[in-house]
Amino acid sequence: MLISPVPVAAGYPSPAQDYFDGRIDLNAHLIKDITSTYVVRVAGESMEGAGISDGDELIVNRALEPRDGSVVVAVLDGELTIKRLRITSTGVVLQAENPAYPDIRVPSLSDLVIWGVATRCLHHV
Amino acid sequence: MSNPALMRRMPQIAHVDVNCFYASAERAFNPALEGKPVIVLSNNDGCAVTRSPEAKALGIPMGEPWFKLAPRAREWGLIALSSNYELYGDISARVMELLGRYSAWLEVYSIDEAFLGVKGTPTELITLGQTMKTAVRRNVGVPVCVGIAPTKTLAKLANKWAKNNPAFNGVCHWDSVPLPDRETLMRRLSVIEIWGVATRLTKRLNALGIHSILDLARADPVTIRDRFSVVMMRTVLELQGTPCIPMEEERIGRDQLIFSRSFATPITTTTGIQQVMSVYGQQASARLAKHGLQAKILTAFAATSHYNPKDTSYPSVCVPLPMPTADPVLLTKAAHALLPLIHEGIKYAKAGIMVTDLRPTANQAPLALFVNRHEERHVGTLLENVTRRYGRGSIGLGHAGLRGGPDWTMKRNMLSPRYTTHWDELPTVKAT
Repeated sequence: MLISPVPVAAGYPSPAQDYFDGRIDLNAHLIKDITSTYVVRVAGESMEGAGISDGDELIVNRALEPRDGSVVVAVLDGELTIKRLRITSTGVVLQAENPAYPDIRVPSLSDLVIWGVATRCLHHV
Repeated sequence: MSNPALMRRMPQIAHVDVNCFYASAERAFNPALEGKPVIVLSNNDGCAVTRSPEAKALGIPMGEPWFKLAPRAREWGLIALSSNYELYGDISARVMELLGRYSAWLEVYSIDEAFLGVKGTPTELITLGQTMKTAVRRNVGVPVCVGIAPTKTLAKLANKWAKNNPAFNGVCHWDSVPLPDRETLMRRLSVIEIWGVATRLTKRLNALGIHSILDLARADPVTIRDRFSVVMMRTVLELQGTPCIPMEEERIGRDQLIFSRSFATPITTTTGIQQVMSVYGQQASARLAKHGLQAKILTAFAATSHYNPKDTSYPSVCVPLPMPTADPVLLTKAAHALLPLIHEGIKYAKAGIMVTDLRPTANQAPLALFVNRHEERHVGTLLENVTRRYGRGSIGLGHAGLRGGPDWTMKRNMLSPRYTTHWDELPTVKAT
């Protein structure tokens, strides 16, 4: 037998039941670790191919291990830069997702400062 | 102590603090500042309150007024920044929340330092210290050093050593260092370097032939109590390895005021925490008023007990206040931002608030009057909208407000964006 935790009124729901936990909390769904997650804003078109446009916000988790294929925020010339990370047997490439922008090659991952790994793009539609 | 089983049982204290906190928080979002001399200025861009190692290397003393440095800044490549307390408050809350995961006993000591209760063999403790150091750097983005010792005083000293001697790689476990080396360090450092010894007491200690930290550590605690105070005796005992500095309940620091307390009976409800936060809000208000200060940022936190290692929870939140205030209603309301983070049923053993970005009170009465009267009419929202659109300082409150009141005349010409607390000031990542 199912027992309702609160008295169930027939007809119009009680205003007291407005106090519920069911509302969607974006923090809970989009942020895994509050200590390591930052929101950043994209400036430029070099990641269009990945669905990341100028003015979009990205959710970046600094605690994630960057892997081949990760969209990362890397420090290049003292600036935070967004690129696709490619780790191959011949070296490491920071790829733009737009043919108009060149790739950046480095010998190994240790030659890079990876600031964080992007987990979501808040794309403006 | 060579018996590992015994050492594992003996609790130790880890002191963790962020290296050059304000400058490091700025660097976390602006990598161009890395490797350059950076200073952060006090309110009104008055004087240097944080110096990066490169700035220290230029010979810039702590507290040096900006007007003296400004003419040579370009030549030195010196970068000066205004205090961005919202950023520092949020970074601090993140660091504290993260550290709470490594110990069931955490005491937030100031905006950039905490004490943690830790246990283990020397090797385990050093590993734990390195793990925490790496985690804070990786997750939050700021560098910390760790000192681990049997007492708070020694843990602070160990931390200072870890910061100054690269051989430690950022983590110094006091008991692992050979005794002669510890004594050499303590002989080299003046008593003024020790936590809790004020400048004015140094002369009196010197008169008794106590010059170095080692002299103080070898002094007779009872004599010290009779000549000075119980506080000084505690320092001596702590230097000798006997823990006796208790949890402090209220402190006023250079630029912050902290209230925190352990509860006799754990609090398990949001309502309970709400009441505690209200008390702190009012206490903070009274203390601020007494010191003639107003605060702009409030941090609220709660913590579960170290006796109850399961169901741990260390919620912490940083709240920018709508304006500098000592108003109990505003402070209490801000402290209540912690409540959504409280888990019902979990036993909270401690809670506290910290107010920062303190500045002297001016025109308090008209300002407070305007706040209360207009808050009901959502003037705050309107102000925020206008400010968002036309920039900070474009609109203010009443006759105390527009470029006339204390906050609006505050000089913060070199303020970095509030990267983590304002949607319009998020860090930019280049896609070019």
